[in-house]
Amino acid sequence: MREQQLQDVLRRIPAGVATLQGEALRFGFVNEAMQLVLGSPVQEGQPVAEHPGTIPTDLLEVMQQVFQSGRPYVAKAYCIPLPGTDGEKPTPRYFDIALEPVREGDAPVSGLLLFAVDVTVQEEARQRAHQLSIETRRLDTRLRVLTETVPQITFTVDAAGKYEYVSPQWYYFTGQPPTADLNAIWPLLIHPDDRLRVLYQSDSARAAGIGWSYEYRLRRHDGQYRWLLSRALPELHAPDQAVFWHGALTEIHDQRELAEALRRGEAELRFLADSIPELIWTATAEGFIDYYNEYTAEYSGLTKDELGPTGWINLLDPSEQAGAARRWVQSIASGQPYEGLFRMRRHDGRYRWHIIRARQLADERGPRWFGACTDVDDQHRLREVLQTQYDELARTNRDLDTFVYTASHDLKQPVLNLRGLFEELRRSASFDDPQESQIVHMVDEALGQLDATLQELAATVQDQRGLSAPVETLDLRSVADEVLLGLRAQVQESDAVVELDFSAAPTLIYGRANLRSILHNLFSNALKFADPGRPPHIVVRSALTESGQPILTVQDNGLGMELPGRPAPVFQPFARQHPHIAGAGVGMYLVQRIVASRGGHLDVTSTVGQGTTFTVYWFEA
Amino acid sequence: MKAGALLLKMIHIVYMSRAVRPLSDQDLQALLDQCRRDNAARNVTGVLFYSHGNIAQLIEGEAEVLEPLFDVISRDGRHSNVVKLVDKPIAARSFEDWSMAFHPLEPSGFEALQGFLLPQHVPPPPSTLSIADAMLVDLVRLAVFGADAAPTESEPAHA
Repeated sequence: MREQQLQDVLRRIPAGVATLQGEALRFGFVNEAMQLVLGSPVQEGQPVAEHPGTIPTDLLEVMQQVFQSGRPYVAKAYCIPLPGTDGEKPTPRYFDIALEPVREGDAPVSGLLLFAVDVTVQEEARQRAHQLSIETRRLDTRLRVLTETVPQITFTVDAAGKYEYVSPQWYYFTGQPPTADLNAIWPLLIHPDDRLRVLYQSDSARAAGIGWSYEYRLRRHDGQYRWLLSRALPELHAPDQAVFWHGALTEIHDQRELAEALRRGEAELRFLADSIPELIWTATAEGFIDYYNEYTAEYSGLTKDELGPTGWINLLDPSEQAGAARRWVQSIASGQPYEGLFRMRRHDGRYRWHIIRARQLADERGPRWFGACTDVDDQHRLREVLQTQYDELARTNRDLDTFVYTASHDLKQPVLNLRGLFEELRRSASFDDPQESQIVHMVDEALGQLDATLQELAATVQDQRGLSAPVETLDLRSVADEVLLGLRAQVQESDAVVELDFSAAPTLIYGRANLRSILHNLFSNALKFADPGRPPHIVVRSALTESGQPILTVQDNGLGMELPGRPAPVFQPFARQHPHIAGAGVGMYLVQRIVASRGGHLDVTSTVGQGTTFTVYWFEA
Repeated sequence: MKAGALLLKMIHIVYMSRAVRPLSDQDLQALLDQCRRDNAARNVTGVLFYSHGNIAQLIEGEAEVLEPLFDVISRDGRHSNVVKLVDKPIAARSFEDWSMAFHPLEPSGFEALQGFLLPQHVPPPPSTLSIADAMLVDLVRLAVFGADAAPTESEPAHA
């Protein structure tokens, strides 16, 4: 009964059990599990060697040897592949196979007990682990090669701040021997100015369990301190529990020097721009000012924010703002340089002339504008003064020429009279003394010389000034505009309003130089003798008299003058109505002379304190 | 205008920005509708320029309304790189209502929309703006639409 039970147990246990009997190792008892191990059905009494199944030859040999030696043997993880069906590959299976010799007492070995425990799963796991460890070693090697060939120094620090690992580059960089005590030496190699900061920063990062990134100077093998960037990240073994920090040191010395040089260069340029006593500014591609130098604030009395991106326009004289703005928009649209002469308001409210210039710089950073406003006020004012003086001189010169001409003309008649009288005297009087007759001859000669000189004088001036030029049809407006252009400084200065109305008689047949001279004198007179209490208002009209003859009136609202009893001649050379006002005093005399020489006359009405009206009757004596 | 409105401080703000992605005709019309409705309710007037992702806007109104409005605008996820160019008090409004100028791909449907302008039909800056501000509007319009859509050579209002 117990035998039967034992057989049942052996049959059902999940390990293969078989008995092999006799020297030929014939199968005795074979349980089901062993049947599966052996693959094909087993006949009791069949020798193992003749089994057609899966038992490899080397196992058969070992069985023989165990039988003969009587010493048990266990083969660990022994592979007995399961033959594939229909040409498939055999499936590897692994068994721990125990071979136990059977003997009774001291009798010789009579057979073998064969146990086979399936360890396929364990074996496969072990093999995977083995492959993994090979792969890990390979990766490890690669990592090592990488960490030791990259230019960075790599390191690992533990939570206490002790260096666990540092790549050989550290030794190359510092020149320290491989035996150096990392933890003792490293802090000493940090630049004294950086040391405390670095130690504190890394300590607080470790305390907080976070990574770090900071820059410091480390001493190189040649004693030079080089800037390094230290970056590290924590390795967390549990959330919030960092155990190691892995990081790298990158040399950034050159970049830092370059950045420092750039910063220095920019600071120097800015200092330069701020030191120049000119308004310097830069603008974006869109035309908005993004930098004004310090002098701009000093000159305008406004801050950058008060000026704003387009506020420079507000500094210009109001009458010039629209034109300046339009041209700036055009420059931005076209990229063309900007240049203009403008009055710019200073902090004290005074306007000073400036040349504003701007040019576009186009490089890889995109277009930007650089501008400067140069104060040319002194030059400009000097030029204006010179221009005024030049105009004045030219006018005086012209007036003098005319004066010489008219004077020579005026003297001709008295000389003629003198000559007639002298002829009369010579005919009626008798000269006995031959010396007296010589004197008479000399007087005659002198009179002839005087006459010739006067004629030459008149001819010279006439030729020079074009006073003798033939008459032509003149457009009054164009000649008047020309004359006013010459007087623009005086007109602007006095804020004068000049009204021209030539509609009644637009043209005049006259000498051009004469007309210009007359208009010049009349206009400048009206401007010069303006009432200081009001801006001059000059009305110039042409008209035709009842007899159809052209006239011209010039009416002003100036000081006016006391007229001696008419029709006494008003204008004598060098007679000045207003001695306090500068002038050569020949102007109106000349006008009168020219008009008279062409067969006309000059009329005047005036009220002191209200104004004067001159009327030129061109061809009516 | 109500008498009380005169006492409130009026300001105008000009900014430029970049759309995060190009706006379609539908996006633009939706924006036009939304802004016109909101701005009319808040009594905000002005003009918005849009072209190829470039945005510029001038808004004017009461400071109490405009400043929070600009905060909302600058945080709007549809655009970025918001640069405020001007934010300052003004004596009076220069724009009667709020309008928007852009190039639709299909212009036919837009011509009739209230508050829509083709860029070439944008009038020159009103003469109520200071010349410096008018120039600013001209410059942002130039920046958004480019030199090709610049106003024709007719003399601006200030000439």
